[in-house]
Amino acid sequence: MKIKVYRYHDGMKNPRYDTFELEPKPGLTILGALFQFQQNFDDSIAFHYSCRGAVCGTCAMLINKVPRLACRTQVASLLNGDLKIPLSPYHAIEENIEWDNKEEVLIEPLPHLPVIKDLIVDMGKFFEYYKDIEPVFKPADSTPEKERLMDPDSIPELELYTNCILCAACFGSCPIDDSDPEYLGPAALAKLYRFYIDPREENGIERLKIADIPRGWWDCKFHGNCRRVCPKDVPPLIAIAKAREQLEKEGEDR
Amino acid sequence: MGVASTVESIHYHDVIIIGGGLTGLRAALQISNSGLSGALVSKVHPLRSHSVAAQGGMNASLGNVPGDDGASDDWKMHAYDTVKGSDYLADQDAVEKMCREAVATVYELEHMGTVWSRLENGKIAQRPFGGAGFPRTCYAADRTGHNALHTLYEQVLNKNFPFYEEFFVTSLVKDKGRCIGCTAIEIMTGKIHGFISKAVLMATGGFGRIFNRSTNALINTGDGQALALEAGVPLKDMEFVQFHPTTLYGTNILMSEGARGEGGILINSQGKRFMEKYAPNSVDLAPRDVVARSIEQEIREGRGYDGGYVHLDLTHLGSDRIMERLPGIRQIAMDFAGVDPIKEPVPVQPGQHYSMGGIDVDINGSTILPGLYAAGECACISVHGANRLGGNSLLETVIFGRLVADTIIKDINNFQIPDILPVESAVNDVEFKIKEVMGREKGANIFDVKDEMTELMFQKFGIFRNGQTMKKGLNEILKMENKLSELTPNNKDLAVNQTLIQFLELEGMLKIAEVVARGAIKRKESRGSHMRTDHPDRDDKNFLKHTIIGLEDNNLNINYKPVTLGMFEPKERVY
Repeated sequence: MKIKVYRYHDGMKNPRYDTFELEPKPGLTILGALFQFQQNFDDSIAFHYSCRGAVCGTCAMLINKVPRLACRTQVASLLNGDLKIPLSPYHAIEENIEWDNKEEVLIEPLPHLPVIKDLIVDMGKFFEYYKDIEPVFKPADSTPEKERLMDPDSIPELELYTNCILCAACFGSCPIDDSDPEYLGPAALAKLYRFYIDPREENGIERLKIADIPRGWWDCKFHGNCRRVCPKDVPPLIAIAKAREQLEKEGEDR
Repeated sequence: MGVASTVESIHYHDVIIIGGGLTGLRAALQISNSGLSGALVSKVHPLRSHSVAAQGGMNASLGNVPGDDGASDDWKMHAYDTVKGSDYLADQDAVEKMCREAVATVYELEHMGTVWSRLENGKIAQRPFGGAGFPRTCYAADRTGHNALHTLYEQVLNKNFPFYEEFFVTSLVKDKGRCIGCTAIEIMTGKIHGFISKAVLMATGGFGRIFNRSTNALINTGDGQALALEAGVPLKDMEFVQFHPTTLYGTNILMSEGARGEGGILINSQGKRFMEKYAPNSVDLAPRDVVARSIEQEIREGRGYDGGYVHLDLTHLGSDRIMERLPGIRQIAMDFAGVDPIKEPVPVQPGQHYSMGGIDVDINGSTILPGLYAAGECACISVHGANRLGGNSLLETVIFGRLVADTIIKDINNFQIPDILPVESAVNDVEFKIKEVMGREKGANIFDVKDEMTELMFQKFGIFRNGQTMKKGLNEILKMENKLSELTPNNKDLAVNQTLIQFLELEGMLKIAEVVARGAIKRKESRGSHMRTDHPDRDDKNFLKHTIIGLEDNNLNINYKPVTLGMFEPKERVY
């Protein structure tokens, strides 16, 4: 099998694609394939890596036109077609590159963020939008001596959102982030909702109002790509729908 | 401020923190709250730090869950378990400090918004862990590190604390017997920066990646320990390397001790629960060194599966409990081994997990070099001794991130603003060195040498060690160190040159490997994680002491330091 890898660095007019042949041993991940590329073919290849266990969120990239974590994606299952994910169309996933998906894996940088080199994108904008939603715990009451009590039944819903690893796969999959570069995006909105539903916060609707702006809750068109590509099953769509419902209800009450 | 440089890439901050994991972030918060100017330098974005991967939990004697006979927990029992777990090599004053502060530390994270798992009564949930006399480990499902790291990142970000992300530190700068900053490569541009500061805190994590079978993130290459050594600061107890009993066969990704805390059991290829034989009382929840050796012995005696693994069976826990308490490791087992722990046992084998040793610091986190401090896994304040208990590492990071920052805040008034010239000249030195490395003729493949080293370290300095093989191993390490001067990246661009970064990491890793080897060869006893088949017993008469290895005139010197006892007298360690 082969991997076909997007290559770009400062000074190049257009990106190019390098193809590298390797053996798809059982257990080989895309990240593993990239390390083989680096070790045996061209050591100038650039890609992010850290935990290699799908928890740190640093290696999201476009693999066969789907944003995924390179470390979590098994080459064999990809070639078997087991990992197909149907996505709502947007510019970056148009089939503008020829590749034989039975023999080759196409590896490109995560869309909607500027490419620094090869598969490394500048995450600056993603984290700027994350910071825009004021991602910090704002407790309703003063600090108690011990822990604040929490109903264990409130945890599962919170965990849906605290599980986010900020890999930006959703950001790179969102057709709205393609058409509106200002859109806060699924991860930032899901994070905001995580603080809103934290029973220790009780800042209520004020929290949600941070994103009560055109580039916030109201920009989403419910394509649902974010949920489909999330490696941690975070559901931004549910957060967005519920937030809108709350804000609309509050608008009517006034 | 008061320091101006004509060189645009020289930065001044009162305190430089190197490393953005739990220790670095907790220290950053403390420095920020104190009003000092600080900055955090990390080779990755802080959220990509290895702390994020910690699964099982954080020990603190909250006493939210009663013990077997209804008794309640306290810090002294936590200290006792920690000291016994350490095989009596931990410094008991440091252990006392940690265990006394533990409760407040768990509450502190809760107050900052960490979502801990909860009991029916709403209090923070606690689970049993290896080597602990109480269900003492506070947890957030099996994503405790992730939850805590995100919380601290949120807090530090909220303070607008400066981050230098993806900066690889290349040297510590000394002047007039003090540490006055560091140099670093900005990875994305290849530019060399200088940092001037009154104090530098190392919070760079462990060196697990000198071993090929490791649970650690690929970034855990011991950079901080190597930098300190190079700056003349000795390393302590580096031969004590923890092998975690249950890492996923194939990738060695961690399968949390929480899995056994929740009732998971180990089974050999004959279908037998073998831990009853090795630890009749604690069984599967004996400490990690004991369980790792037991698994290895089963495998060596032919009772493992082909390829060298045993089974971690969770199937009897049932789907609900697994989904609630262990969702993360279920996902990992499915993603990386194609095994659903609800339906079938998980193939596991021991793998390197933690570095008990590290930069030698006193109880305040100070090194022998004024202005240089260290905390967390990169340091050895010695709360873990010869074997760390599960749940004590997250605890150490957050507590000592805070306390060592407090030491700095106290000391800093005594430090003058440093001169800029030594930092500028250090930047020049690094530029010169990199030019030399990049200008070499093409030699051996950097990655092949790294693979050779990591394989060697696991084979010769792994779970079972003996003098003869270790001496052969040391010779091979020395040969590899000699080979370093022939290595060079093929890629000659400085911007985003990850091969150059890996070369610089490898230089440090080989030095660390040599320190581990020399410490292990000289320690002719078995204690905690350091098991020698040629010296199978603990020898308190000759080795109840810390190994201290420093670099003098380019040679590694070995010395020893006494262990601080006090609360608990060394006894035979039985589980």
